Amino acid sequence: MDAAIALRLDLPRAPTGASIPVMSADSRTDAELIGLVANGDHRAFEELHRRYARPVLGIALRRIGDRGRAEDATQDTFASLWRSAGRFDPTRGKATSWLFTVARNAIVDGLRRRSETTFDAPPDVPEPGPGPDDAAESEWVSWRVHRAIETLPDQERTLIELAYWSGLSQSEIAAKLDVPLGTVKTRTRSALGKLADELGEELR
Amino acid sequence: MTDLRDMIGDDVDPEELERLQRVHTLLEQAGPPPSLSPGLARPPASGGDVIAFPRRYRPLAAIAAVAAAAVLFTVGYLVGNTGPSTEFTVAMSGSGGASGSLEIYAKDHAGNWPMRLHVDGLAEGKYALWLTRGGRLAEPCGSFAVASGTANVPLNAPYKLRSFDGWVVVPSGSRQPVLTT
Repeated sequence: MDAAIALRLDLPRAPTGASIPVMSADSRTDAELIGLVANGDHRAFEELHRRYARPVLGIALRRIGDRGRAEDATQDTFASLWRSAGRFDPTRGKATSWLFTVARNAIVDGLRRRSETTFDAPPDVPEPGPGPDDAAESEWVSWRVHRAIETLPDQERTLIELAYWSGLSQSEIAAKLDVPLGTVKTRTRSALGKLADELGEELR
Repeated sequence: MTDLRDMIGDDVDPEELERLQRVHTLLEQAGPPPSLSPGLARPPASGGDVIAFPRRYRPLAAIAAVAAAAVLFTVGYLVGNTGPSTEFTVAMSGSGGASGSLEIYAKDHAGNWPMRLHVDGLAEGKYALWLTRGGRLAEPCGSFAVASGTANVPLNAPYKLRSFDGWVVVPSGSRQPVLTT
């Protein structure tokens, strides 16, 4: 059973093993951070990276499929963000939408650039799956949801990821985290409530 | 699809349950966020700060750039036009006023002796340069064509020259020398 759980827990996890600060108490908005990045503030850039690295990588993986190239595209996106932060105008739209556009453009540019070195013939027939509109909608939902997850405290983020994507039952999560089942339910509800607040517009 | 009430319990008012249900649906639609590899754990180098070049120094910088380009061009031209150093030159002669000279350059690291052969007074046709030993053709050093009596061609001798005693030029397919050292 332990082995089974260990295998299943290889599913997505919060980047707690990485060397980035796991959850900062930075209360500055994305728009404020972009403004600081435009003035060369490296700490603000790091905070934006902490908030958006996974959402950007998520989109890149959807578009590209290949992990290595998706990681390159993610790096390209943040390089592009650093260069273009000065062009963000908060009166013309929300920061998260602007960041989404920067990410998509950087990923598409990267795809174009790298496709020049390959010789794959274009497909003759439409590929199965969602059409462009559906795909864009799906990317946007993922972007917003993944960004919202990054706003949760560590404990709740881990819990949500275990509850939704590890394949573990609530009882198994309770055992894994060594907390009562009731606590798992309470924390899950609390986390969902915070996500609902964060995702306000998406829920309407 | 997992039942939300199994995850959070039944003790939730309907309005809140509906709100949480929408989040629940979005989470299932979105799929898992990817984990970050160590390479992505830090942001990329942000490229440093750009310092504007002072306007008043721009003419000076342009002059300096032109001067640097001129110096580099001159150095490149001199280096590019310096041929290999000549080790020795061998004179060749033949009947009817035919003559030639063979410049042998420094041996390369692989043991080749690059050469340049200049001939005058030969009839139009194709010829070959041979190394000789004991009055016989020993090893070929390349072929060349003559037009208007002259030719100036690069050739090569990939041999230990000390084991030979001379060079000859013969018409292609013939063993009769028209130039000898």
